[in-house]
Formats: sequence, structure tokens, C-alpha cells
Amino acid sequence: MSQVAENQSPLQPSSQHDEVVSPWLDAWRKFRKNKLALFGAITVIFFIILGILSPWIAPQGINDQNMANTLQAPSSSHLLGTDDFGRDVLSRIIHGARISLWVGFLSVVGSIVMGCLLGILAGYYGRWVDTIISRLFDIMLAFPSILLAITIVAVLGPSLQNALIAIAIINVPNFGRLIRSKVLSVKQEEYIMAAKAIGMKDSRLLMKHILPNSISPIIVQGTLSIGTAIIEAAALGFLGLGAQPPQPEWGQMLAESKAYITTAPWTMIFPGLAIMLTVLGFNLMGDGLRDALDPKMKH
Amino acid sequence: MKKWKLAMMMLLIFTLSFALIGCGGDDDESGNGSDEEKILIFGRGGDSVTLDPAKATDGESLKVTANLYENLVTYGEEDTSINPQLATEWEVSEDGLLFTFKLREGVKFHDGTDFNAEAVVTNFNLWASDLESYYYYNSQYGDGNNGTIIEEVKAIDDYTVEFKLTRSQATFLQNMAMDSFGIASPAAIEKYGEDFKKNPVGTGPFKFEEWKEEERIVIVKNEDYWKEGYPKLDKVIFKPIADNQARLNALFTGDIDLMDGISYTDIAQVTSKSEFQMFERKSNTIGYLGLTNTREPLDNKLVRQALNHAVNKQEIADAFYGGYAVPAINPMPPLINGYHEGVEDYAFDVEKAKSLLAEAGYGDGFEMELWAMPVPRPYMPDGRKVAQLLQKQFEEIGVTAEIVSYEWGTYLDKAKAGEADAFLLGWTGDNGDADNFLYTLLGKDNIGSNNYAYYGNEEVNDLLVQAQTETDTAEREKLYMEAQEIIKDDAPWIPLVHAKPSVAGKENIINYIPHMTGNESLEKVDFK
Repeated sequence: MSQVAENQSPLQPSSQHDEVVSPWLDAWRKFRKNKLALFGAITVIFFIILGILSPWIAPQGINDQNMANTLQAPSSSHLLGTDDFGRDVLSRIIHGARISLWVGFLSVVGSIVMGCLLGILAGYYGRWVDTIISRLFDIMLAFPSILLAITIVAVLGPSLQNALIAIAIINVPNFGRLIRSKVLSVKQEEYIMAAKAIGMKDSRLLMKHILPNSISPIIVQGTLSIGTAIIEAAALGFLGLGAQPPQPEWGQMLAESKAYITTAPWTMIFPGLAIMLTVLGFNLMGDGLRDALDPKMKH
Repeated sequence: MKKWKLAMMMLLIFTLSFALIGCGGDDDESGNGSDEEKILIFGRGGDSVTLDPAKATDGESLKVTANLYENLVTYGEEDTSINPQLATEWEVSEDGLLFTFKLREGVKFHDGTDFNAEAVVTNFNLWASDLESYYYYNSQYGDGNNGTIIEEVKAIDDYTVEFKLTRSQATFLQNMAMDSFGIASPAAIEKYGEDFKKNPVGTGPFKFEEWKEEERIVIVKNEDYWKEGYPKLDKVIFKPIADNQARLNALFTGDIDLMDGISYTDIAQVTSKSEFQMFERKSNTIGYLGLTNTREPLDNKLVRQALNHAVNKQEIADAFYGGYAVPAINPMPPLINGYHEGVEDYAFDVEKAKSLLAEAGYGDGFEMELWAMPVPRPYMPDGRKVAQLLQKQFEEIGVTAEIVSYEWGTYLDKAKAGEADAFLLGWTGDNGDADNFLYTLLGKDNIGSNNYAYYGNEEVNDLLVQAQTETDTAEREKLYMEAQEIIKDDAPWIPLVHAKPSVAGKENIINYIPHMTGNESLEKVDFK
């Protein structure tokens, strides 16, 4: 754990004379020093493990109803209580981690793929391609994003998969714009000119040089977006437009238990806490990554 | 300097605490004072739209007018039997085309004018003159061609009225008792014109006093009421509070004395407190799972019967209606005339269900969609939860149901078009008649309208059409019973529960009987 650089006084910046530090290693060192970011990362990893292992560690199935045992307060047999179907809330939250993270991760990957494609095209080719794509992004950003998501789901029909698609679509402009601006600056660099001069094909140039050199802001934005995407999925679930019962999606669990807010608050509090912690984790981790990956923030 | 600050601080604290004590004192005034005026404050979900009952189409409007107006005949206190009100007796001709009513004498409208045959004629002629505005007159007495089946209303003498019909209608009296057909003062109608809806004048136990929109409607005791000794209350205030939870809190803090529209999940909170009680409203609804009879494999009667055997209805009533619902056997609630007590329900029996499925050739089960409405309805507060319970119960017999919801308008359109496999839906009765349930919901003629299950049994349809014109009550009930037997065997639905949308109130309220139609006169209500 402990490295030489760690216990130095802030007045005496690390010199690193003979050691050659790659940018990634440097970022990792900076990240590791950021306590909040580390906490975020640990939370995220915790929920990821929970999600992956859910079929084995959840004490009960997602739909093991027991109508003789409904709305029980937390106890030793049900650590987080039971809901109005007598289902174990803890088990449902554990299974729900898998759904929420899956939706968050996959929708962001979808957004990144679509966003990068459009953003690179717009940034590299410019002119009318840029005009069309950028205006398209402007139009999409003119809508409140959740409204756009609701519209998309209404057209496709309510299901978890369609909610995922909707969330992926509404986040495309964020990534698209980001990568477009990055490409605009990268393509002015000498090495790109050099590559062009030796007759490298556009496709190879884009994939081999421009994309790798534009990607770091995407990693930061991607991490932050997973948190947002999880909230959006929960919001759609709450409105009955995302996961369909009996899937234990957290937002849907909130919606189902809102009638019991005074009589059985645990049915609401714990799914809410799960959403909050996960999103907080992704946000803290994303902030940490931004600080760590920003080359201007050398110490 | 420091002492001075401390003194100021103390002074501030004293003033504040006295002010707060003052605030607390007011609460005891509402309701129940035994020597003073008896005032009942009725909290409800929305304000009235109009106080002209003939034009009202919403329950909140009729809830008030039921206390201001009276009809020629009225429903029984606890059912929909026909009883005298402004008419004391009546006769029907042999062919069912001529009704003669003897009217109660000595009744006065709130404005002091006399109630007589001329007043009845004026009201009915007014309603017939504008079928578009008088919605219920058109829906109950219209002939479907911009005319009505009431050809003429004639005053024979001061207290005798005669109705001549173009064709006989078995539900004529049943309709007459609907709150929409309260008799208003002709003098007041003329005097107020368009403003009559805000200046109601009838013969009922209470008189209109004040309407502040979205805030309160106040009605006061009619001192000259013809029923000796009634009403018991001096004043009733109807107060709209939109949110169910906020209304319940208002009841608990004493701001209101009665509240309707309580969430089923909150009933336990009321019954656990000794200062409050529940008033049970008899069911006028049916919540059911329609099994679209034209879609595979639900077109197979054995499959539909198997699904019926798979459902535990009591569990649904207990879990999502707080016990304020009864398992349904027939497609209409038990208090409707013609309800068949003898029909035996498909017992909750998983083995039987499995063997029926096997017999139908679906021994390995099958997959289907299970539609759940996205909005709370009076007959089913949470469709998506009921669906989850059903899903689990179907799973036991090997049927995999996928829960599907659409936005409410789309849901109804798609179900109407026959695109659903199994779908949750329900119905609230209009006039307490069997026709309004059986023919409306299951008559072959109503496929594409309210027969969402596409149940096309000709024999049942014939029986139901025959019952529409049969004026002999006993004969008519026999037809409905026969229809219910066939329907049970065909199993076009799984009838689930009859919900009882009950009312919560203070413990000291007596003689309040919520009526199954959703509106009732409060003339007998009193405080202990």
C-alpha cells in the first residue's frame, strides 16, 4: 500500500527524477490519494459484486411470495423486512443491484458507441456532416431528457429493455458533443497531419490515432453517466415504464411501496438507499477520475 | 448589557409559547357540540361541478344534490329496491306503457312554492328538450335516435302524473330513482336560468346555503321538511381535499368528521384507533380478469375453467382491499336484483386446474400476456399488484404470464380491439340493475364496446335482450339467473372481487349508511 510519494509534505512536490511514470500510472496514484473517490469506487465495487453474486448470496428468490407474512418489520429472519407480498426486501434489493447496474452500464456503453461514432464524424469531417449532426444533438438537448425517455418508451412499449434503449438514446448528445470538441482539437495536432501526409486512410487514422487520443474525457463522463442512467432507469421504473413486475428494479420497488410510507417505511427506505448509495458511488468515483485524468492538474 | 439580552430572550420565548398555545385551542370546536349547532364536515376528493343533478355526470356533484333534491321514487337504504319518495304510490298498465304516480301532498320546495304534478311535468319536459345537456336523461330514457321513450308526461290532477311510453322498459322505475332525476322548483329554474346550477332549489332535507368553489359547499337544515323529525343535523359542510393522505390526516386532526375515498392500505390506521370508525359501503362494482375468448388458447373453455380454478380470490381481497371486498362469483354484485345465489364458484384447486389443462391439451402449460391497468380504479386500487399475485398463482399450474401495462387510454383501446390475452378490468354500476352489468359487459351485441372479453354466446345474449323488455320482475330475474348459470360454465372471465369503497369517520357519528350507488341522503345522520 504505502509508497514513497505518499508521506511527503505538500510543500515539497514529488520529484520522480529517475522513475518514468506513464500517464495511467500517474492517474492511478492521484486517484488513490483521493479518499472520497476511493470510497466511491469501493461502493461501486461492492454493488457490482452484489449484482454478480446475487443468485448465490440472496437469501430468497425475487418472487417468493408469502401472503401470510406481509409487511413485516426488519427482523433476524428478514433483515430488511418484507413487502406487501411477503417477499424478502433484502433479497430483492440484492437482485435489483444486478438489474440497475446492468441497465446503467449497458445504456452508457450504448450512448458512448453511438455518441463517439456521430461525434467523430462531425468533428473530423466538419461542414454539412457537422451541421446535421450538431443540430440533431441540439434538438435532442432541447427536450428535458426524462420527457424524451418517456416518449421513446411510450412508442416502443414499456419494458426494461426499451427503458435501456431510451436511456442510451437520450445520453447520446452528451458524449457526441464531448468527443466532437476533442476531435476538433486533436485533428490539428502535428502527428495527425503527419499521418495524413504519409497517406493513411481515414478509417485507420480515426481508429488508430484520433479515437485513442480523444477518449479520456469519455471515461470520466461515462462513469458519471452511469449514475445518472441508474436514476433515469429508476425514474422510468417508478412510472411503470421500465422494468415490469415482479422484477425487483429499485425504482419499481419504490413505486410499489409508496402506499406504505407511513405503515411500513422499510419497504421504501431501503430501495431508496440502494439507489442513493450506488449513484453517490459513481459520482464520487467519476469526480475522482476527472481530477486524476486531467493532465493540467499536476501536483 | 448581557442581562438585558437575556431578558429579551426570555420575553421572546414567552410570547412565542403563548401564541402557540392559542393556536392549539381552536381544534375542539368542530363537529359534535351537543347543545349547539350540529355541524358535520364531510371531506371528499373533489369539488362539485354543478348542483343541478340533471346535468351532473360526476359523483362529487351528486353527493351534494342527493341531500337537496328528491325523486318520485328512491332506492332502499341498503339496496336498490324501489321505494316511495315524492310519489306515494304508482300503477303500471298491463302492456307496461303507462305509469301513473300519486304524488305526496303538502310538500314545498325550499323557495316556498308548492310541489305538485305541474312541477314534475315541467322538469321532465325540460330534460327532454335538451338531450345533449341532460346526459343521464338521454342515456337512461333516450331511444338512441335523438328521441326518448317517454312520449308524454301529463298532469291528470294536482297530485297525479301519468307517463306514456313508446315502448316498455323494464328498468323504468329503477332509472327514475337515480340521483340525476331529482325534481327541482320550476319557479327557481325560471328565476335563475343559467345560474340554476349554483342556486339549487329542491324539496330535500337540506337547503343550499353557500358554495365557495374548491373550498366548501354549505347546506343547512330544511325546517319545513315533510318527514317529521328529520334531518337531525343542522348543517353539513362538504370540503374538497384532493390528496387521500391529506384527507386522512384532516380526519385524524379533527378538521373533518367524515371522509370518503380512503386508500385501502390506510384502513388499518383507522380501525386501530378507538375515536374513529369505518362505515362500510355495499359493493356496486365488479373487478375481473377478462380472458379474451377469441385468442388461443383462451378460446378453449377448459383452459378458461382451469385458470378460474387456479385463483385464490380471498387472498386478493385481504391483501389489497384491506378486507373491504368480497370474492366475486357472478359478474355482478350480490345486492343487485336477479343475483344468482345458487351458482357455485370454481373452487381454488391447483390439482383440478392442472388436470383441466391437461385435458385441454396444455399439460405443459402455456405462455400468455397478463394486462394490468396502470391507474387506480374504484373497483381495483392497484391493478399491477393484483396482477403479480395472479401471475404467481398461474405459475403454480404451469402458466407463464407476462405482466403488461399501457397508458390507460391505450389500454382500453387495445383491450377493446381484442388485443389482450388476459386483462384486468372492472365496472361500477349506474342504476343498480342487472342489465347494466350482464348485458353491458357480456352481451354479444356489446363486443367492440364494453364486452372486452369478446364473449359471444348467442343464447346468453338472447336471454339478456329478452330480459330488457320483460316487465314482470320474477320472470325477469329468472332470465338473469339462467344467463348467470351459462356464463359461469363458459367462464369468459375470472370474476375477482366486489370492492367496497368505504367511508371513514369519527366514532360518535351514528345512523350513517353509505349507499351502494356512491351517494346518499344524510337526513338520518346524527352525533351521539
